[in-house]
Amino acid sequence: MKNVLMHKVDFKTKAGKVLMWIVLIFFLFYTLMPMVWLVISSLKTNTELMGSPFSLPSKLRFENYANAFKVSGLGILFLNSIIVSLGATFLNIMIASMASFVLSRFEFRFREAIFSLLVIGILVPINSLMVPYVKIINKLGIYDTRFALILVYSAISIPISTFIIRGFMKTIPVELEEAGTIDGCNFYQRFFKIIFPLSRTGIVTAATLQFLYCWNEFIYSMLLTSSQSVRTIQVGIRYFSNQFTTDYTSMYAAIVISIIPSLIGYITFQEQIISGLTSGAVKG
Amino acid sequence: MRKISISDKIGMILFLAPAVILFTVFFVYPVGFILVTSFTEWDGMSSPVFVGLRNYTTIFKDPIFRLAIRNNIGWVIAGGFIQVPLAVIVALMLSKKPFGWKALRTIYYFPNVISTVSLSMMWMAVYNSEYGILNGLLKILGLGHLQRNWLGDLHTAFYSVVLYGVFYIGYFMIILLADISSIPKSYYEAASIDGATKIQQDFYITLPMIKGTIGTCMTVAMVYGLRQFEQTYVMTNGGPANKTMVMVLYLFKKIGDFKYGIADASAVVLLLIGSLVILTVKRIFRTENN
Repeated sequence: MKNVLMHKVDFKTKAGKVLMWIVLIFFLFYTLMPMVWLVISSLKTNTELMGSPFSLPSKLRFENYANAFKVSGLGILFLNSIIVSLGATFLNIMIASMASFVLSRFEFRFREAIFSLLVIGILVPINSLMVPYVKIINKLGIYDTRFALILVYSAISIPISTFIIRGFMKTIPVELEEAGTIDGCNFYQRFFKIIFPLSRTGIVTAATLQFLYCWNEFIYSMLLTSSQSVRTIQVGIRYFSNQFTTDYTSMYAAIVISIIPSLIGYITFQEQIISGLTSGAVKG
Repeated sequence: MRKISISDKIGMILFLAPAVILFTVFFVYPVGFILVTSFTEWDGMSSPVFVGLRNYTTIFKDPIFRLAIRNNIGWVIAGGFIQVPLAVIVALMLSKKPFGWKALRTIYYFPNVISTVSLSMMWMAVYNSEYGILNGLLKILGLGHLQRNWLGDLHTAFYSVVLYGVFYIGYFMIILLADISSIPKSYYEAASIDGATKIQQDFYITLPMIKGTIGTCMTVAMVYGLRQFEQTYVMTNGGPANKTMVMVLYLFKKIGDFKYGIADASAVVLLLIGSLVILTVKRIFRTENN
């Protein structure tokens, strides 16, 4: 890809390069600086923060982190978020991959119609459906339970998960499945023993995106639960400013703690997330 | 077409049923539900009373709802016409694979894995009038007279809530970058033999080739702008003086007042504007093959 006319446009290329790096570094700073500042501030005393917001802490105050756990009840918030996110990811992925199996490996009438309808769901502004969701959850008698959130999150992501997993299952050669049929595998064995394991890349991608969605979801968590014992971390964070009142640095510590699992998950499953975004949007 | 056996047919129905049932309960039914109840008055307990178009005339006469629509349009413009073009520029730059492009791609995406609530809390600290980093930065730069209470000031509150996220371009950048890297290399080789500069190649090869994906990104950004809630709710809760109100927050507050009919009418308006945006962008960015 080397430009053969490079020497003629040397000055222009250089100026372009400088401009490019200014832009790239601007975005780098913009992304990192508030986070770095938050981490630094979370290790200061409140007096230090008020006195000089930019200075480094005179001594690292890890007690802010201990304090964050004590005041906010982060332990239970974390536990609830983990239960809800894992539960909703498992349920959603099972349902979506079962549907994807049928929608990708068999030809029948209405197949494309069913799939198109499901995929339209990706673009529905889900926040506009608050009233019916509250009503449905109340009718089912599961208001203020973790299961309500598991069910709602599983349902909301069916369109996107089915889209990703089906796209993946379609690429598995028919021969593999036919070999299974000849060996006497029935419908369920073909799914669990052949197609599901072979689609794991697509499934891990969908699962990672679903887990991040569940971990970060706020509005329905707030709307469908009320007691502190089932509250998830995102709703918990919202109340930090009331709980910590003037202890800002401990509050920052709590926010930092809430961010860490997402970042670890992202760094671990980076490849899957990127490939998921790509398959999710480019083909659409 | 392969013949499907009876036992396979039963399996297919069993496997498809959970997805179809949940989709019906949580997508089809709710959309139908808000369409119907938007023409009624009800408080969530007693049975709804049909009132015709009254909820719609009520919300369109309500200056707060009108302000919410205007603000949502601001969100849509910021997402579709600032955030996405910035993402296109950065994606074009990273597609040249400069030093450290992979690390940059990873870091630019960080904010997208952090919850909106956490980010909003972080930016509240940035905007804080007493010890926030923004006022501190202005002071250092000798622009102390610009210092203010960013989220409390009538003139700056809305921009402060909207703009911080606009520069988080990671999500769209990754999608665009993947699309750019799928363009066959031979196109560029042919162009450089013809003497096209890198910039010309960007304009005449890359941009036309990724047009469809830019359209997808704009649709997603704009739909996000319409359904925006967390940022506003956490940072200002619609204030000061409703200056930052958006449609979903309006809807949320009406639920709090038990005015479910009005809440559903505003949800229908949101759905209609959403469909309109999607269809318009689709039309503009329609490529030959679809």
